[in-house]
Amino acid sequence: MNSDKRFSYARFAVIVLVAIVFFVPLWWMTVSAFRPTDAIFRYLSPLSPWSFFPRTWTLENITGIWYGNFGRAIFNSIFITLVTVVLGLAICSTAAFALAVIEFPFRKSVFMVMVISFLIPFDAIAVPLYGIMRMMNLQNTYTGLILPGIGNGLAVFLLRQFFLGIPKELREAAFVDGMGWFGIYWRVYLPLSGPAMLSAALILFVFQWQAYLWPLLIAPAPDYKVAAVAIAQFSAEYNPNFGLIFAASLVISVIPMIVLTVLQRYYSTSVASTGGKE
Amino acid sequence: MMNDKMSRRTLGAALLVGAGMMTTGTAVFAQDVTINFLSAQRDDIMQPMIKGFEAANPGIKVVHQSVPFNDLNAATESRIGQGDTSIDVLHADTPRIPAFASQGYLLNLDDRRDVIDAAVPNAVDLEQVSYDGSLYAYPMWTSTQLMYFNRDVLEKAGLEMPSGDPEQRLTWEALLDMARTAKDSGIKYGLTFQQVDRYYQLQFLFESNGAGSGLTGDEMLTPTITNDGWIETAKWYGDLYESGLAPRGVTPEQTDDLFINGEVAFMIAGPWAIARYENAADLNYGVAPVPYFEGGKPVTPTGSWSVAINPNSEKKDAARAFAEYISLDPEGAYLSIKNNPNILVNAEAFKNYSADMDGLTDKIGSAIDIISYETKNTAVGRPRSRGFVTFETIMNRTFSDLRNGTDAETALKGAERQLDRALGRIQ
Amino acid sequence: MTQRSAILAALAFLMPALVSVFLLRLWPAAVAVNTSLIPPGGGGYSLENFRYIFTDPVFLNSLKVTIVFLLIVNPLQIAISLALALLMNTMVPLIGFWRTVILLPVAIPQSVSAVVWGVALRPDGLVNAVLVALGMEPQRFLTSSDQALASIILIVSWIGVGYWMTFILAGLQDIPKSLYEAVRIDGANRWQQFRFVTLPQLRRPLTFVLVANTVANFLIFAPVQILTAGGPEGSTDLIMNTVYTQAFIISDPESAAASTVVLVGVVLLIVILQFRLMRAEDSNE
Repeated sequence: MNSDKRFSYARFAVIVLVAIVFFVPLWWMTVSAFRPTDAIFRYLSPLSPWSFFPRTWTLENITGIWYGNFGRAIFNSIFITLVTVVLGLAICSTAAFALAVIEFPFRKSVFMVMVISFLIPFDAIAVPLYGIMRMMNLQNTYTGLILPGIGNGLAVFLLRQFFLGIPKELREAAFVDGMGWFGIYWRVYLPLSGPAMLSAALILFVFQWQAYLWPLLIAPAPDYKVAAVAIAQFSAEYNPNFGLIFAASLVISVIPMIVLTVLQRYYSTSVASTGGKE
Repeated sequence: MMNDKMSRRTLGAALLVGAGMMTTGTAVFAQDVTINFLSAQRDDIMQPMIKGFEAANPGIKVVHQSVPFNDLNAATESRIGQGDTSIDVLHADTPRIPAFASQGYLLNLDDRRDVIDAAVPNAVDLEQVSYDGSLYAYPMWTSTQLMYFNRDVLEKAGLEMPSGDPEQRLTWEALLDMARTAKDSGIKYGLTFQQVDRYYQLQFLFESNGAGSGLTGDEMLTPTITNDGWIETAKWYGDLYESGLAPRGVTPEQTDDLFINGEVAFMIAGPWAIARYENAADLNYGVAPVPYFEGGKPVTPTGSWSVAINPNSEKKDAARAFAEYISLDPEGAYLSIKNNPNILVNAEAFKNYSADMDGLTDKIGSAIDIISYETKNTAVGRPRSRGFVTFETIMNRTFSDLRNGTDAETALKGAERQLDRALGRIQ
Repeated sequence: MTQRSAILAALAFLMPALVSVFLLRLWPAAVAVNTSLIPPGGGGYSLENFRYIFTDPVFLNSLKVTIVFLLIVNPLQIAISLALALLMNTMVPLIGFWRTVILLPVAIPQSVSAVVWGVALRPDGLVNAVLVALGMEPQRFLTSSDQALASIILIVSWIGVGYWMTFILAGLQDIPKSLYEAVRIDGANRWQQFRFVTLPQLRRPLTFVLVANTVANFLIFAPVQILTAGGPEGSTDLIMNTVYTQAFIISDPESAAASTVVLVGVVLLIVILQFRLMRAEDSNE
C-alpha cells in the first residue's frame, strides 16, 4: 500500500475542495427539493445567495412524493438491486475464476464471448429480449427485472483481470493440500479478492440502479415499478413538477450514499488480506 | 381455425353470462375482470375517472399503467406491436393514430360510429381519431392555444391589455412591438412559446402565413417545407431568439416558470397552463386569442388524447365499457379532467367544463369564449400521416436549430433532404 | 488435474454465466442481426438496410461525432480518474465520505443529472451567472454547435469519473508496499516511484478501465437525448442517440438493428486493438 502515512494539510484541503466542486450540482438539486415549486428557477441569474440557498424552505416536495406508490418503488429498486448484486457476484466470480485459472480448450473464445456480451448496447436489444421474456411469461415479475442484470460480462472481465494477478504458486500449493477447484475458488481466491469483488458489486449495482428502459417495458404494473421510472412520472406531459423530481432524486440518492460510504472502509482494510500478492 | 373456435366459445360464454344477467339483474360480469389501461398521464390525473367507472361497474377493475410521454411509443411498439394481450385500453395521442391504425395496433370502431357521432358533434374532433375513413379511437380531449399576458409587466411598460375578442386579435407584427416595449421596460424576455421547438405549437405560425403544414401528397408523405412561406416564417422564428426577444436554451418544461416569475410578458400556451398559473400567488395575468400574420388567416393548433382498444385484448367488452365511459359518458368524461383542465370534446360534458372556466372570467378574461371560438373556427390539426412521428421528430430538431441561430433556408433544405429519405422508408 | 476434469470444472463454473449471457444478450442480439438483414416491407435477406444507413448523412454524421467524442472523452476521463485515485489514496479524516461524494453522481438517475446540468448551463443559468460575477463573458454552452459537445463531455465526465476512479483506487490498494520501499532505497523520487512502480503495477486495472470506459462512452445517450436531441446542427448526435431514435421514436427497427450491428462491430474492433496494445499484461497466463 502506498497510502501516505504522513498527514498533509495541503492534500486534505485539495481533497475537500475537489469533493465540494463535485457536490455543487447535487447541492443545487438538494436545495431545490426544499424550495416551493415556483421558486426553483427563480434565482438562476444574476448570482445571489438565493441561487444556492432556498429563500423559503418547504417540506411539501418531500412529503408530496409519497402519495402514489413511491415507497413501493424504492423498495423494489433496493430489493432488485440487492438480489442482482448477490446473484451477479456468484455467477460472475465463478465464471471469471474458470477463465483466469482453469486451463481448458477454447478458453480465449469463451472469454471473447463474454467481452462481446458487454459491447452489445442493452437498450438496442430490449425489444427482442422483451419477446423472449414474454415467451417465458416473465412480464411484471421480479425475475424479469433481475435476470438481465446478473450475467454481466463487464464484471466477469474485471474479476478475471484480478484473478490473473494472483500467483500460480498459491493454487499449486492448494492442490498439493488436496483441495478441489471449488475449494481453491472459495478458500484461496475469494478471500484475496475483497476490493475486486466490491468493484464488481459496483458494476452490478450501477447497471441495475440506473436501469430505466427495461423496467419500463417488462414491468409497467404499479406493483413492480422501480424508482427511476417512478421519478420520470413526476414529469408527466402537463406541468412537470420539478420540486417532486428533485425531492425524489434526493431520497433515492441517500440510500446509495450511505451504502457506499460504509463500503469505502473495506477498500482500505482489504489491503492486509491481499498482502500475499506479488 | 383454432382462434375461430375459441372466439365462438367465448362468445357463447358471454351470451350465457348476458342471459344470466337479465334474469338476475345483477352485475354485468359473472366474475371479476381486471383490465389494463396504458397512458402517459400521471396516476392522480387518471384516478378520478377510474374510480367513477369502477363504482358504476362493479366487477371490473382498472389497473392504470402510466409511462412517461417520451416512452409511450416504445411501450406501445414493444408490447402491442408484438401481439401482447396485457394491455386492453390505451390512451392514444391523436396524431399517432394513422401509424398505429395502419400497423393494426388499434381496434376498428366503425360499428360505434353512431354513438360517437352523437356524443361528439365537432367534425374536426372526429377527424383526429380517424384513419383511411375509419374510426380507431374514442375522442376524449382536445386542445387549443391561448396568449397569456402578465398584467403587471404590461402596466409597468405602459402598454394596453390585449383584447379577448377573437375578432380583434392582434397581428404578430403588433404583438412583437408590444413585446419589445415590455422587454425594454426591464424584464428578461418579451415573448415565449410554452412548447418551444415543438411542431405541435409552431405549425399554426406556418399555416397562418399560408405556407401549409409541411406535408403534402395523397398519403401525406411528401415534405414541402422549402417554399417561400416556410422559409420566411422560419426566419421570423429564428429572429425572435437572435434578437433576444425570446429565450434560447430554455426547455419546454421550464417556460411556465419564466411566466410565473414575471420574466416574460407574453406566453403562448395551452389552456392547461391555467391550472398552474392559478396556483401562483403573485401572478396577475390575463388571456387573449393567439395572434396571426398580417395578410394571413387566424389558425390555432388542436388535437389531444383519445382512447383506443387493443385488438388483441381478451377482455374487449370490459375494455369497451371503460373506453366509452371515459369518453362518451358525460359523467366519466367530466371526471377525466377533474385534476387536469383539458378541453372536452363530449358536448354534454363540455357544458360542465365551460361552467367551471366561467368562474375565472372576472380575473383573467373569458378564456372559455376564446376556447369555444378557436376549436370551432380556427383549429387546424396536425397532418394525418403514417409518417407523422418521423416528420415531427425531424421538424422539432430543425426548429431547435433555428432557435439556436442556424440560417432558415439551410436548416429547412437539410430537413427536407432528411425527410425525403426517412419518409421514403415508410411503405 | 486431468484434462477432462478441468473441462468439466470449467463448464460447471461457467455454466450460469454462459446461459445468462446467451439467453439475455446473444440471442436477442442474433434477433437484431436477423432484423438488420430484412428490408422494411420484407422481401428476403439483403443488405438494403446497411445501404440505407451508409448513405444516410445523419448516421454518417453520428459516426463522426461519436469518434471525435471518444477521442477526447476517453483520455480525459482516464487521466482525471487516475489523478483523483492518486489524490484520494490516502488516510485523511472522512476519506470514505469524500470518495463517496465523487462517486455519488453515478447513483443519481441520468435523467435528473441531465436536468440539473441543463439548468446550470442555460444561457441565463447558474454557470453564466458565476462567469459574469467573475467578470467573464457569458457562454452559449448547449445552444451553440461549437460548445455543445464540450458541454456534454463535461456532464458525462462529472457522472463517470468517480466510478472509474474507484476501480483504479482498488488497483492502487493492491500494490505491495515493499515495491515502493525497494525503489526508495535506490533513491527514486515521487515521479520515478509513479513511473516505475505505480504505473506498471496498475496495468491490469487500467486495461479494464480503458476497455470499459470506451464501451460505456460508446453507449451514452440519455443526457444527449434529454438536453440536445443531437443538436445544434447534429453536433452532439452520438450514435446511440441515433439508434434509440430509430428504434423507439420513429419506429424504424430495421435501421436501428443495422446501426446496432455497425456499432458493435466498431466497438469490437477498437476493443481488440486495445487488448493488443495492453497484451504484455496477460503474460501471466
